[in-house]
Amino acid sequence: MSTAATAPPTTSAPPTWALRTEGLGRIYGDPGPASLVGTGPDFGTEISPATGAVVAAWDVGFEVAPGEALGIIGESGSGKSTVMRCIAGDEQATAGTIALRGVGDGTVNIRDLSPTARRKLRLQQISAVYQDPAAGLNLDVTAGGNIADPLTAIGWRNYGSIRQRAAELLQRVEVPVGRMDDAVRTFSGGMRQRVQIAKALANDPPVLLLDEPTTGLDASVAAGVLDLLRHLLEETGIAAVVVSHDFGVIDLLTRRVLVMQHGRVVESGLTDQLLEDPQHPYSQQLVAAARG
Amino acid sequence: MTTPHTTSHTTPHTGPAPTPAFTPTAIPAASHQAGRAPADPPTDLPSDTVLSVRGLRKGFTLHTIDGRTVDALHGVDLDVAPGEHVALAGTSGAGKSTLLRCVYRTYLSGGGSIWFRTAAGDLRDVAALPDAEVADLRGQEIGYVSQFLRPQPRRSVHEIVTSAGTARGMTRAAARTAAEAALHQVAIAEHLWDMHATVLSGGQKQRVNIAAGTIAPPRLLLLDEPVSALDPANRAAVLDLIARLKETGTAVLSVFHDLDAIERLATRVVVLGGGRVLAAGPPSDILRDSNLPLEVAR
Repeated sequence: MSTAATAPPTTSAPPTWALRTEGLGRIYGDPGPASLVGTGPDFGTEISPATGAVVAAWDVGFEVAPGEALGIIGESGSGKSTVMRCIAGDEQATAGTIALRGVGDGTVNIRDLSPTARRKLRLQQISAVYQDPAAGLNLDVTAGGNIADPLTAIGWRNYGSIRQRAAELLQRVEVPVGRMDDAVRTFSGGMRQRVQIAKALANDPPVLLLDEPTTGLDASVAAGVLDLLRHLLEETGIAAVVVSHDFGVIDLLTRRVLVMQHGRVVESGLTDQLLEDPQHPYSQQLVAAARG
Repeated sequence: MTTPHTTSHTTPHTGPAPTPAFTPTAIPAASHQAGRAPADPPTDLPSDTVLSVRGLRKGFTLHTIDGRTVDALHGVDLDVAPGEHVALAGTSGAGKSTLLRCVYRTYLSGGGSIWFRTAAGDLRDVAALPDAEVADLRGQEIGYVSQFLRPQPRRSVHEIVTSAGTARGMTRAAARTAAEAALHQVAIAEHLWDMHATVLSGGQKQRVNIAAGTIAPPRLLLLDEPVSALDPANRAAVLDLIARLKETGTAVLSVFHDLDAIERLATRVVVLGGGRVLAAGPPSDILRDSNLPLEVAR
């Protein structure tokens, strides 16, 4: 894989994408080339027969433009959430480039940054919404307190302004502002997810990562959260990556999609093309299963 | 997008022999990655041709059914100029809808080119463009109206038509006004406008679909049986709407179920059979040719 993205650019024009990955990989265990042999879709496993290492994701490359949503679909263990966590900085990728237009006009491989610098990116450059609200929120803290967290972390000090911003965000995600001072633990699943989304949007990040954002919610509650996300993605210029095993979610939220299996991307395409004319055997299986 | 996902195996494989997940169906990665190498644009095209299909092929490999292959198009050539309405005719299974879907890139074509001239005057091969560029063209320049509205859930009729207008560059206010005019044109009663489109009848959905498809008309509009579920009065209203697209210079490529609609709207008819062009010409000639396999007799 090329490492061109780390080289200084010859022109100063910023890239058209908000997020770009190239050759992204994450191996648990021996990271050497021996671990790759015998893994991937052609071999039906992500576990290296030689070293026992788990090649959770390998050679994943894509670009997401501002205002665009890209889906990553695959079953459990396909590596889709690993890709998301490597971009978010929740775990360190073994190989590859991750670049953000907001960081050095896309010339910096953020994988090379220190853990402290990575954590800072999470405040203003990349936000993540997880399937489990407990992963993104402190359930014992109030909704307002959770949303205030990323604000105070970048220097908001005025109590009134913070409360006003929190109220705005709660309105945007359709949580009654009157619940602002209740602990999130007292909220229903759907409301918790909305608070998590509000927190993720607090500092208007250009990149939003959504990992199974509606999985685990009742169908009617999930529908409400999906509608909210769809509106947010349409109305903001945010670049989104939506990780899901559910073609319904991918279909509703994204215009392009990658299909992952055993840690590798097996197919990429426009979302409707993937659904109507899937090419790879695994994509065809997934679509056939989704159709019932 | 990166290059195809092939990993170079530089280290000798020492572990136990792996079991391939899918047996002999080794597909070259390029066949399921969008954006194959574009061919050179044809040099003999009139400078205003909006769509020029050359040697288009399409087959399906059904990996879930023994890897069976189904061939749908075997090298189709076709041009559409601004203001022209080209209707595809032929029996069921002739490849009419497949052709429309290839042009919209809902299907990946298996060979040939689909040249589309953009508003800026450039020729782009839709069959080979990167996904993101196709998505941009779809938003602004290429529209598709299918016989089925698959409405986004929990979205109002008015919003669906309005957002089709904003997607093609209208301001929100202008799109709202134009949406109202379009909904009146296709006789969708005002009390339905704020209802979710999912609860409408099939015929109402179809009319909302055509209203959304023709608001701020794209340069190329693909119509796949857009009046199949309509009663005679509504059908006439929608056919009027489509007929007026000629005035806006929209290039139309259509599939209609009935020959009356073709006769009324088409400037040219292309008859497909077995995935090939069998005949092409003005509707007056083609529709009266009893030797051609046309789907429905009048």
